[in-house]
Amino acid sequence: MSTELKKALYNISALADLGQAITSENNFHEKIQSVLYVITGTFLANKGALLFYDKPTNKLNTLAQKGFAPADLDRLNPEELMSLGRNESYLIGDDPVLTVAGAEILAPLWVRDEFIGALLLSGKLTVGPYTLEDLELLNVIANQIAIALNNHSLFLDLSDKLEENRRLYEEMRHIYHGTLQAFAAAIDAKDAYTKNHSHRVAKYSAAIARELGWNEHEIEGMYVAGYLHDVGKLAISNTLLNKVTPFTPEEREEIRKHSTLSHSITAKIKFPWKNVEDMVWHHHERLDGRGYPEALAQESLSDGVRILSLADSFDAMTSQRPYREKMDVQSAIGELRKNLESQFDHKVMLVFCKVLDKEIKGELPEPDILPHLDRDSDLSVISTLLEGIIVELSTP
Amino acid sequence: MKSVQFSVASRREGDAAIIYPKGYLNNLSGENLVIECGIYIGKGITKIVVNFSETDLINSIGISMLLQIIEDLRNIKGTICCTNMSKLLRDTFEMLGLMQHMLVFPVESDALTYLKTGKL
Ligand SMILES: [Fe+2]
Ligand SMILES: [Fe+2]
Repeated sequence: MSTELKKALYNISALADLGQAITSENNFHEKIQSVLYVITGTFLANKGALLFYDKPTNKLNTLAQKGFAPADLDRLNPEELMSLGRNESYLIGDDPVLTVAGAEILAPLWVRDEFIGALLLSGKLTVGPYTLEDLELLNVIANQIAIALNNHSLFLDLSDKLEENRRLYEEMRHIYHGTLQAFAAAIDAKDAYTKNHSHRVAKYSAAIARELGWNEHEIEGMYVAGYLHDVGKLAISNTLLNKVTPFTPEEREEIRKHSTLSHSITAKIKFPWKNVEDMVWHHHERLDGRGYPEALAQESLSDGVRILSLADSFDAMTSQRPYREKMDVQSAIGELRKNLESQFDHKVMLVFCKVLDKEIKGELPEPDILPHLDRDSDLSVISTLLEGIIVELSTP
Repeated sequence: MKSVQFSVASRREGDAAIIYPKGYLNNLSGENLVIECGIYIGKGITKIVVNFSETDLINSIGISMLLQIIEDLRNIKGTICCTNMSKLLRDTFEMLGLMQHMLVFPVESDALTYLKTGKL
């Protein structure tokens, strides 16, 4: 794995750590302390401070800090900070007004039109100045912290902990998804033919999970697994992924490593969802035990794995690949049908057919699968085919 | 991923202290590591060996704790040695450029020999 990739993973993990810190069961003080540690750990800073703006007194209160002299922090003027960009981290350099606190980086925290406070960092341990990527990552973090702090002050008014946690969680979801999407785009960009593959697999898998009656949290986890299932391909050469001629047995082996790589990468990230790493690891397993990487028996395959496997195969079949044309939707469904029990799960297939049929019939307000299907598809033919399979699979 | 409750043990050998973090270094309980080192530093110890044999997972919070210890020791011109690190840990430290700020030894006894004799 390249250093850049490792660094990217570390940063993604840091965002996950941040989410964990903000949404944890800890009290506010502990949360803020953890958040500060995540930030100083991510940016290797010996000094860090989180300041909260108290409107009635027009003062900045220190919520958590390490390394700064308290008197220096008191010398910061909130009005000066408000005139800077919102949630845009700022390299202080020799700015005469801002150097007073002895910080090197400053991010003013805003939520919409509300000034919330500021985040200060200084004393990078390792050589080299803060980079543009550092600043960009800090912008993302600043946004999240601003929201969390703002919610906290709202929370003080409302005094409704459950509601606050729910909202925090909502906000966190956005950041996860933003980050994951960026990551998925990096995966899909490696291979021109799999453009948006991860995105579609995430959508299809989540749609199936929802139809199966999973709760929102579980659906979220399914979605994330869909996004990341092929993340291990980042470590496989572009030339191999984009090869037009059939793979040699050695090349096939190499490609097949991607699901194990996906597992080792995701296992390093502390997700708030269960089993993401298991799902990505086993998305190429089969019910007949002839899949890879572990050739697991069907008892060992979770519903999540079964969903991901079907969604992945359906999208693979209906997308163009360097070595073959894409299949039309009917043929792909026929292919799934043909491989029931050997490769795909009966129940998952039934639910997939049901949800797609509902989408075609306009029964679902926000279709997840339909918008991605070939525009030339004959929907009435597909619907008839699906109805047939639904009847067949529903009868015991 | 489940969390393992983090704890710290330590012992003294000659003029060095050996610290044994145990469990995942990924939440506030990691502060105990900084506190434990602080106690020895307060007693005038300047050589600290951290034996990572029972810690194979560290996140940004844990890194922050480690930075604190590095900084505390730097202020008193002390030495930090890290030993028994998993590959994951070593890779992480390397990627973050932390290796320049510590001495790394495969096992604890190597670090102690070095601290005693000044050579490997
Ligand atoms: Fe795959
Ligand atoms: Fe895939």
